[in-house]
Amino acid sequence: MINILLLEDLPEIRAWLSSLVMQVFPDAQIAEAARVHDALGLVSAIKFDLALVDLGLPDGSGVDVVAALREHQPETQSVVVTIHDDDEHLFPALQAGAFGYILKEQARELIIEQLQRISQGEPPLSPSIARRVMAYFAAKSKPQPMSASSAAVPHVSLTDRETEVLLRVAKGYTLPEIGQQLTLSRHTIADYVKQIYRKLNVSSRAEAALEAQRLGLFGR
Amino acid sequence: MSRSGWYHGPHLLLCLGLLWLACASALAQAQTVKIHAAQAVESDSPGFPADRSAPLVDLPDDWSASRPGSNGPVWYRLTFTAPGLREKGELLALYIEHVCTNLQVYLNGQLIHSGGQMSEPITQNCNHPQLISLPAGLIGPGLNSLDIKVVGHALARVASAHRAGGLSALEIGPKSVLADKHAQQVALTVAVPQAVSATLLLMGSFMFVLGWMNRRESHLAYFGALSVGWAIVESRFWLRNLPVDNAVAEFLLCAMLPLLTWASVQFLLRYAQYRHRWIDIAMPLQAAVMPATLLLAGPERLYPMASFWYVLLALQALAAAAFYLRTQYHARRRAFWPMALLLCLATAALAVEYAAQKFGIRGLLMQLAQTATPVMMVLVGLRLLQQQGRALQAAEESKAHLEMRIREATAEIEHNFTQLAELRVEKVTERERKRIAADLHDDLGAKLLTIVHTSDSERISTLAREALEEMRLSVRGLTGKPVQLIDALGDWRAEVVSRLGQAGIEAAWSAPAEDLPQTLSARAFVQTTRILREAVSNVIKHSGATHCSLSCDIADGDMQIVVRDNGNGIPMELDGRLDRGHGMASMKHRAKQLQGQCLVESGPGYGTVIRLTLPLTRATEVA
Repeated sequence: MINILLLEDLPEIRAWLSSLVMQVFPDAQIAEAARVHDALGLVSAIKFDLALVDLGLPDGSGVDVVAALREHQPETQSVVVTIHDDDEHLFPALQAGAFGYILKEQARELIIEQLQRISQGEPPLSPSIARRVMAYFAAKSKPQPMSASSAAVPHVSLTDRETEVLLRVAKGYTLPEIGQQLTLSRHTIADYVKQIYRKLNVSSRAEAALEAQRLGLFGR
Repeated sequence: MSRSGWYHGPHLLLCLGLLWLACASALAQAQTVKIHAAQAVESDSPGFPADRSAPLVDLPDDWSASRPGSNGPVWYRLTFTAPGLREKGELLALYIEHVCTNLQVYLNGQLIHSGGQMSEPITQNCNHPQLISLPAGLIGPGLNSLDIKVVGHALARVASAHRAGGLSALEIGPKSVLADKHAQQVALTVAVPQAVSATLLLMGSFMFVLGWMNRRESHLAYFGALSVGWAIVESRFWLRNLPVDNAVAEFLLCAMLPLLTWASVQFLLRYAQYRHRWIDIAMPLQAAVMPATLLLAGPERLYPMASFWYVLLALQALAAAAFYLRTQYHARRRAFWPMALLLCLATAALAVEYAAQKFGIRGLLMQLAQTATPVMMVLVGLRLLQQQGRALQAAEESKAHLEMRIREATAEIEHNFTQLAELRVEKVTERERKRIAADLHDDLGAKLLTIVHTSDSERISTLAREALEEMRLSVRGLTGKPVQLIDALGDWRAEVVSRLGQAGIEAAWSAPAEDLPQTLSARAFVQTTRILREAVSNVIKHSGATHCSLSCDIADGDMQIVVRDNGNGIPMELDGRLDRGHGMASMKHRAKQLQGQCLVESGPGYGTVIRLTLPLTRATEVA
């Protein structure tokens, strides 16, 4: 039996998603929430294996729930389920530790397939997100003006292979195509993508911690 | 005691009745004769009192030594012969280097010269050497008598020994020789002090005004006051006729001295950047007390009182100078050595002058010392002006620099302001767009989504899903930023290939892979995405194709996208046109909006080819 958190404010959609999840994971225990506040309460009480998190909620953003899960339950797979397909909305959630995203309006079968893939460790990656990730790491690799404090940040950088994968995703190649081009197995490519997500999260968290420290120093 | 003229013969033979024997050997060669003794008698008679006994006195005759307390007048008489004078045709003259305070000269009982007013206020001739022509017509072949009436003041009644009554040694000789000597002496005792006075007065006034205007440079004002004061004191050397009695003139002159000391002490202290309240009070107080003590002592005791003050004031000035030099030395200022040199020279000059007064020394050294002090002051003044000039120059430079910085800063601020204003407009617009987009997503999006997943009708679900996608694209067209063409191609490829792949249709995509510099406006990107999406939907839904190729080419500023499938083709309507139900109209309409065109070629069984041509420049411009 697995514990699943479902955070969605629209009741119909929540019910629909719930039935969909039950179809993918028949023995799942689903805890439903409609607000960020409720979800955070559940996170502090129950250990989840999977979390489906909507972003735009009445009392805040699902990104906070993703971050809380990453903080307290690092084993949980957080998946963003949203109607926003733009990286402006998705990228912060991925930085906070989301492991992939699903667009809500897609057909049931498509969502089921994506959910299965994610739970098997094959998160999706769109060209625009790939470009955003590349830009993020490219900016980080530049020499920082605050050299003293940047020493405190664990240096996270992408390997050449990971960059190569990102580059190809950005050009519009699908993951299986990239596997063929680099003569790598589908699992290996999926591992690269997972690794990219993880590094994005680790780097972002370090950055956030540093930022908090800096604010703390100045706020004293 | 001849002074000059070894090289000429005995052109002039002067026989002095009283020194006849003593000088006899020298006279043979002398051109001029110095006379070191004369008969003297104190009398106010209109002529030499022949009836009274006139003892012989040495010249120079200092009254303070020979007749202490006497104010004259004193008659001096000497006699001389000048044989052969007429034949030589030379003009004779009497030269008196120093006579104080004034004199009248009689030759054989005839008045031949008067130095000016003989009664109070007496004309002041103490610093004016006298050259008196001896008219040849009055000189007899025998013994001639020369009477000199001198009026003066006892030492006690004057502030300086230089102005105490007395007569120096006399010199008789050819006027041409003595005139040179006289001119030299006048230059030294009159012209130089005059020039120095004028210089000090001009420079001092200028510096006083300069220091007065700028209170931070108060030392300049004090120096200016010192210079002007000194110029006034110095004027006593060459101003002969004052409209006041000797007692008043001497008193006023003495009253000047504490003022000068005040100015010099304050100048030195302020110059060393030191200021003390007690000194600020004490110096003016002293300037008031000193005249009071002089008044109390009375004109009869002026000299001792003045001497006492003279020493006291000089010591104050010296102390201030020492203090100034000490601070300068400790501060390791570069100005130390020149200023130290100047101050030492001025001090030495003062000392010499003081000694000269004290011991009655006259001569070149004393005159040089007298001149040296004001010259030092002029030099110090020039140095101060130089410093001031440099400071002014530095101030000008820094002002110019500052002005430049201000201009730069102003330009930067203006630039920033413009940028900020633009940015603000952009930001407000952006925020408004984002608000509209968020509203659309939250409200319309949520409702459409609910329809998508709750409708029983597949057709309605599909329509709602398409509406949602449309909405999303619209929002993106509304809020989106320009898209790099290479990125747009990546997005399109990902969508097209994955959709065709999911539908089991083999997809082939070809597009330029190198860096493309072009960008698409958000709207052009969104419209093109819609056209492509529609085309691919048609392939998936209607064509029954197993293969679909898409190619994108950039040529001559146009982008051409060709979608080609191997499906059934679009069936003809009855009127021979292609079926409108396949979204062809909207694809064409959108292409037209982007100033492009969309051509569809199809025949039953031959598949379909859609050619979309978009002008890139237009596509990038359309907002």
